[in-house]
Amino acid sequence: MDTSVEMMSDSKLKAQKVNVFYAEKQALFDVSLGIDEKSVTSFIGPSGCGKSTFLRCFNRMNDVIPSCRVQGQILLDDVDLNSPKIDPVLLRARVGMVFQKPNPFPKTVYENVAYGPRIHGLAANRQEMDFIVEDSLKKAGLWKEVSDRLNDQATGLSGGQQQRLCIARAIAIGPDILLMDEPCSALDPIATSIIEELISDLQSRFTILIVTHSMQQAARVSQKTAYFHLGQLIEYGDTKGIFTRPQNEQTEAYISGKIG
Amino acid sequence: MNDHHEIVSSSAGVAGLYNAPTSVRMAHIAAGLKKRRAASKRLRIYGIAAICTAIGFLCILLTTIISNGYTALQQTEIAVTIDVPADEIVDANGVIDVDKSRNYNWDGLVKRSFRKAFPEVTGMLEQRSLGELLSANAGYDLRLQIEAAGTVPTGAVTYWVKSSDDVDMLMKGRMDRSIDEKKRRIKDNQLVWFDKIVAEGSVRLAFNSTFFTAADSREPESAGVLGAIVGSAMALVITVMLALPLAVMAAVYLEYFAPPGRLTDFIEVNVNNLAAVPSIVFGLLGLAVFLGFFGMPRSAPLVGGMVLALMTLPTIIIATRASIRAVPTSIRDAALGLGASPMQTALDHVLPLAAPGILTGTIIGIAQALGETAPLIMIGMVAFIVDVPTSFTDPATALPVQIFIWSDSAERAFYERASLAIMALLLFLISMNMTAVLLRRKFEKKW
Repeated sequence: MDTSVEMMSDSKLKAQKVNVFYAEKQALFDVSLGIDEKSVTSFIGPSGCGKSTFLRCFNRMNDVIPSCRVQGQILLDDVDLNSPKIDPVLLRARVGMVFQKPNPFPKTVYENVAYGPRIHGLAANRQEMDFIVEDSLKKAGLWKEVSDRLNDQATGLSGGQQQRLCIARAIAIGPDILLMDEPCSALDPIATSIIEELISDLQSRFTILIVTHSMQQAARVSQKTAYFHLGQLIEYGDTKGIFTRPQNEQTEAYISGKIG
Repeated sequence: MNDHHEIVSSSAGVAGLYNAPTSVRMAHIAAGLKKRRAASKRLRIYGIAAICTAIGFLCILLTTIISNGYTALQQTEIAVTIDVPADEIVDANGVIDVDKSRNYNWDGLVKRSFRKAFPEVTGMLEQRSLGELLSANAGYDLRLQIEAAGTVPTGAVTYWVKSSDDVDMLMKGRMDRSIDEKKRRIKDNQLVWFDKIVAEGSVRLAFNSTFFTAADSREPESAGVLGAIVGSAMALVITVMLALPLAVMAAVYLEYFAPPGRLTDFIEVNVNNLAAVPSIVFGLLGLAVFLGFFGMPRSAPLVGGMVLALMTLPTIIIATRASIRAVPTSIRDAALGLGASPMQTALDHVLPLAAPGILTGTIIGIAQALGETAPLIMIGMVAFIVDVPTSFTDPATALPVQIFIWSDSAERAFYERASLAIMALLLFLISMNMTAVLLRRKFEKKW
């Protein structure tokens, strides 16, 4: 825990004593950590440990759940995201999200990517929109596969392509931060490896937070790893350190496969 | 309780089989298989029987309606040779003067001309009964015919004018000649004259176009269903325009924006309860609020549509909420995650995907509204209206109300018209449902 407090001072994104409740049930207990800019941070832990709940605090997706209450501070550039002054719409334009199951809109490939820039008025004309769509699809490594199918239904793409389309859709509005909630859990190993490569590519441009069930994935893609258990942040540090010399017994037990 | 004990004991018996060798267990299962197959076969037979019964009743219903109503498609007409006196109707330039024409006694002209074919009929009473073979509106029909033609022909011309409804029934074989004259609407002497003109070939059955171009009338032969169809259509336009947006907005609010709490629960329960409120209560509400408080016109399709909208509202709200809930939350998350506002999420993604369900709910509601009579009676749409309404505030009646009025009339000819009007109502319904199915197909998206 000491290490995380140290790192927090100059972190872009900071969580301070975050508690989350679903009605009466507490899902997160006093979670504090800082996240480095332009790096990949992974949240690992057994099911129901609160890692997805924590991730959803960063773009206030928990607001959607009526019974959910969030306490504590999440600071982005030293501004508290939970303050009533922050408009969740504005926040989500800066913090993109990719979900567990690929969820393209039942529209064309083009429309899927263009929707975000359109609602935020980012493209002045058709040429600019075309550019944004092409650039986002290229960044998501999907352009080659779909450049001739832009007007096809997005739901006709394969699962892995759909997930990359969702990534393209998220980065089309130019966010600083990307939240990924188990982005590969519904995909086969080949599609997973493509997405993992993509995450490594995107790291130079975005601050990426990823929730994953796969420890190998966390080890492969992330620089920092946080281990959660029963709503508590047990250990947080360099990925290498966590996987080779875990400080905490519980972390060690999880990583070595004794629990989880 | 006894059953319960038996189940316990028999399941204890099966426990022995559970541990038995595979061959014994399989033999036991195979022995029971025949019974199970028979049971599923029985169920299938029950299902088929139920469907056959339903189809049978539907056939009986349709056969009754059609066999009663198809004759109303034709109307008996009688040929009368008439010499229209041009100087009585035409002005100095030879053009028909509408004022003069209106004041002219067309009825007398038609009856006089008709009597010429029966020189043997002389007495005043007899002449009157002879005139009763023709429609009471025969003169009016002739006037419209001549005015539409624009010119008055010279000399005697044969016109086909409508017969009275009694002659029409006689012609169509719906009147029994053998019953006692006192109980018969057509008297013996009239029968003789009728047989004479039939023998002369001066009677024919022609297509009853009046039925589709006129509104209600005291005389069955002049009564039509167009007024009621237009009245119904106007009321339904108002209903859809009011109920659909209101219901969709209410449903979106309740699903996405309403803060959970007692008030929301209370509203939800009441919306569901409103769907079960008898329709006449909505009629009373319309009478008290729209007519009584706001002083809106009586018998108007505008008010009828508003009352029916109130009645349809809960149905559409419930259907819309169900179909909004059926849209996967992942789509909603995706839109919100991109920074779409809740309104954009609802309008751009959720409602288009929920549209087929909303449409279905709307059509169910509208079909219900189309067949509704009770609330319309309360706001005066049950009136006798002889004009086809031309605006939303004109007095009008509706199809089911028209059917109700006709089936309640004494004249036998109104009875067959009621059956034909039922067919018109069913066609109206079917065409609406077809539109809904087509729209649904158009909106439906493959996942």
